[in-house]
Amino acid sequence: MVRFKNRYVLCEVVSEDPRCRQCIEDRAVGLAVRDAIGRIHGDYGLACCSISFTVKYLNAYTGTVLLRCRKDSYRLLCSALPFVRQLESRGQRYPCCLRTLHVGGTIRTCQKFLIQYNRRQLLVLLQNCTNEEERQCIQKSLLSCSLTEEQSRSGDEEDDDGTETD
Amino acid sequence: MSVPSLQRLRQVPRHLLVCEKGHARDARSRHAAHVRDHAYNCRVSFLIPECGMLPEVLKSTIADVGDYYLVRNLSVHELVAHEFIDAFVKKGSCYALTYNTKIDQDNTAALLPTGKLILSVDKDTYEELGLQGRPSQYSGKKAMRYIVTIDLTDSTFHPDSKKRNRVLWALKEKKPLEFDFLLAWYNTGAEGSTLMSYFSKKQIQALKPKITFSTLRDLQCPVLQSNELQGKPEESCSTEELFEWLGAVWNQVSLDNKSSSFLSTYCCPQPNMMVEKAFLCTITGFIIPEKIIQLLEQLCCYFGEPKLAYWLTLTVHGFADSPVSWRESEHGFHKGGENLYNFVIFRNLDYWLQLAVGTYDDCPP
Amino acid sequence: MARAEAAAATFERRVLRGAAEHQYLRVRLELPDGGARPSVAQLKQLVVSALRELHGEVGAALPVDILTYDAKTLSAILRVISSGLVKLWSALTLLGSYQNRRCAFRVLQTSPFLLALAGNSRELVLD
Repeated sequence: MVRFKNRYVLCEVVSEDPRCRQCIEDRAVGLAVRDAIGRIHGDYGLACCSISFTVKYLNAYTGTVLLRCRKDSYRLLCSALPFVRQLESRGQRYPCCLRTLHVGGTIRTCQKFLIQYNRRQLLVLLQNCTNEEERQCIQKSLLSCSLTEEQSRSGDEEDDDGTETD
Repeated sequence: MSVPSLQRLRQVPRHLLVCEKGHARDARSRHAAHVRDHAYNCRVSFLIPECGMLPEVLKSTIADVGDYYLVRNLSVHELVAHEFIDAFVKKGSCYALTYNTKIDQDNTAALLPTGKLILSVDKDTYEELGLQGRPSQYSGKKAMRYIVTIDLTDSTFHPDSKKRNRVLWALKEKKPLEFDFLLAWYNTGAEGSTLMSYFSKKQIQALKPKITFSTLRDLQCPVLQSNELQGKPEESCSTEELFEWLGAVWNQVSLDNKSSSFLSTYCCPQPNMMVEKAFLCTITGFIIPEKIIQLLEQLCCYFGEPKLAYWLTLTVHGFADSPVSWRESEHGFHKGGENLYNFVIFRNLDYWLQLAVGTYDDCPP
Repeated sequence: MARAEAAAATFERRVLRGAAEHQYLRVRLELPDGGARPSVAQLKQLVVSALRELHGEVGAALPVDILTYDAKTLSAILRVISSGLVKLWSALTLLGSYQNRRCAFRVLQTSPFLLALAGNSRELVLD
């Protein structure tokens, strides 16, 4: 028996509207992506992607989404992601787009990438700081994530998430 | 089971186009051999630009393409019969091919002028027949189709040999195979055709090839240069472009589309020139290579007198369901079973020859 | 085209393996009797909509040409870029209706050579 190989696509929801964040939930993102695949690749593409397609991980604060699909059809999925135009949930709809950050073969590699990515984002935030209070807050979290890296990965990720929403 | 990947979705069935150029009067030229090796032809057509009326010589050549015969429900063992071999196979070129059989589902038989009888049969028939053969080249790991080749002119195939008796017994008693056969016989001697009288007890029909003429007005023709097989930008067209254009002409495709057209973006290859009229002739039937060589020769002679045309073409389509294409190379159907060739003869008697085969076919010689 | 070049015609052979840019399909549309027959533009629209249904916008963007169309027999010759043959064929097969009436496309012949479509020995009636 051969293992089914999957691909994990890590992407980020980008939206102008801050209210969009409340829309970021499994069902809404899944539906929006499926809709885009159906539009771009038709019934065939949708059926190909639907095998083992799920939203594996989702972070409403940072807008990070991890999608899973079969290795055979990840190209279909990736090519349809730029065509996601809006998220809809509870009768509300907000325009947004998905930015693909990383495509990996395991959740682990995606997680590693995400940690790296968030750390880099902190530095960017630090540069863009406007007042001293913000600057100190970010410096603190930067230090904390460098220190806690050895101990636990999950805690460290939470730290990242927390700070970025500031 | 895996999902057919995107790569599979883009795959194209295998096909080959072989282009050759040479000189028709060159002693080493093999163009006639290519024609001779392609035994079963169902359609011969030629196109002459700038020609309104066919010269008398060509007309008589076309009329002389000759009859062929359709014999209904002929048992294959009759082709192996001693009398038949002596009367026809050994005394000329005898061509036979099963009619209305599909090579991808039915049993098929063919008799080559070299005296080889080729049976392409499915697995069950092969096992019932009990004759020695080999699995088909194109039936994959688990062979479902077998090819049996019997050399009728072989010296060991004399009337009382064990081999012949076994073949006869297999075809007569073990598994009697019956087909409708297309037959044609060509001999250089003076003896008249006796196929009719030989099979007079059978349902035999003499058939004449269907000949149609037509003239096209204001046809856009590509400009060709005989020594530039690949064409030169702005100067002449390549063989592939010509091949597609020729297909468009024979299928009555309009050649003057705009690139922005909604329906079709096909247009005549560049550079091209307008030809006032072009003569088209099609012969359909069971046409033997000897007659095609004669026709080819006459077409070469067409340029003996000064003519307006720079070149002319002769296209020959093979039977999609014949078990062989060129020589004895195995032929299958797959998606289209195409095996055809096309001559372009230039004013200076240079020629281009294009041989095209589909998926289940060997590279033409 | 100078005659002096005659001597220069040396033998040359080129083998093109799977090099055909296009694939050609001869298709026939089957419709129930007594309905409106599509014009050539409507046929193209039908083909594109079939592609859009099965293969989405990507499929609908495939360059498909209708080379010939005979409104009497509803048969046409389509040309498609080689990499799109499977997509076009599958879309035609799965198409089920035209203007809310049942219909079907029959693919009669397919070939990488347009010339091969001119002589189909399977349709040949000799007697």
